[in-house]
Amino acid sequence: MTEDEIVGEGRYVYCMFDGDEKADFGQMGVDNSLVYTISCQGIGAVVHHCEAKPYTTKDDQKAKEWILSHHFIIDCATRSFGTVVPLTFDTIFRGDDEIVRNWLSKRHEPIKKLLTELKDKDEYIVQIFLEEGVIDKEVEEGDDEIRRLKKRIENVPKGMVYLLGKRLEQRQRDRKRLLIGAYSEKFISQIKGLVEGVKIGKRNPEVPEKWKGKQVIVNLSCLTHKVDVKRLGDLLGEINTKEEFVVRFTGPWSPYSFVDRLEVEN
Amino acid sequence: MPIKIDEDNLKKGLLGLVVTLVEIIEEVLEREAMRRMESGRLNEKEIDRLGRALMELNEAIEHIKEDNDIKDTVHSLRADLDDVVEEAFDVLINPQRWEKEGVRID
Repeated sequence: MTEDEIVGEGRYVYCMFDGDEKADFGQMGVDNSLVYTISCQGIGAVVHHCEAKPYTTKDDQKAKEWILSHHFIIDCATRSFGTVVPLTFDTIFRGDDEIVRNWLSKRHEPIKKLLTELKDKDEYIVQIFLEEGVIDKEVEEGDDEIRRLKKRIENVPKGMVYLLGKRLEQRQRDRKRLLIGAYSEKFISQIKGLVEGVKIGKRNPEVPEKWKGKQVIVNLSCLTHKVDVKRLGDLLGEINTKEEFVVRFTGPWSPYSFVDRLEVEN
Repeated sequence: MPIKIDEDNLKKGLLGLVVTLVEIIEEVLEREAMRRMESGRLNEKEIDRLGRALMELNEAIEHIKEDNDIKDTVHSLRADLDDVVEEAFDVLINPQRWEKEGVRID
């Protein structure tokens, strides 16, 4: 028996939603699969039939299409059912509809709790970048050590200029790091006050071309209630008017970053 | 985290790695020199001599990088190493940073 023959039936699960509705999304899923819903005890899952093995490809274009289809279905489900608990690409259950139903039943309480917690909330990505050069003036201002080193460096021999120059660079770097740290903490604390939850992202996130090369000082995923989005937008707009900072604010996204505690067995 | 070395040119990659390590040693020496300079134990002549020696070492390293076209390799290795160090410190200083925040299901 070949490996392909022993791979059994599976269900690719996109997301869970609150309700018993039966829906058919048509052949819009990953790899043009037919997407439909399975429900149990007042919660449902959006799924398609597949083999019980992960989708893998070496073709980047194909992978992108799959991921776009995954997000597209989650967007459709969000429009149809309101709040959903999105799962990551390639979440596959080994078995048939009944297996998914059993899982929904077994995990009913935490899924329901999560759906309640996520209700009327979306994920937004907030990234604040530093405009290079602008903060340097602030770094130098009010620092006696920098002033002293600059003065001392003026009339000394070459070797001393080198060492004092290194000391000056180090002092400027340290001051800059402190200043950035203080700004970063201040912004994160202001943002936390307006949202339901935050997750701190990577220090060096992948960003579009326009933002490449800029230093990221804040990278957050924010779980935000629909009514608070404007206030968050206003705060970020205010930060964006400062010449030292540029803000990238994207969303609404499905709250992927806030569902990772949901263990998917099978 | 894997350190990326120019795979097309192992020699360049290895030399890049060696020069990167020498640069790190150079920085350690510079820090020690600054520390001694500030401690007041050295007179101006000694500081100048120390500064010139380190400056010459720096120039020699820059020449090696230029002559062997390994500036980018060294730069990329330094960036990777900086990331490793930053992340290690980040975890040591702020373990809570990596704890899962937000919505929980237990």
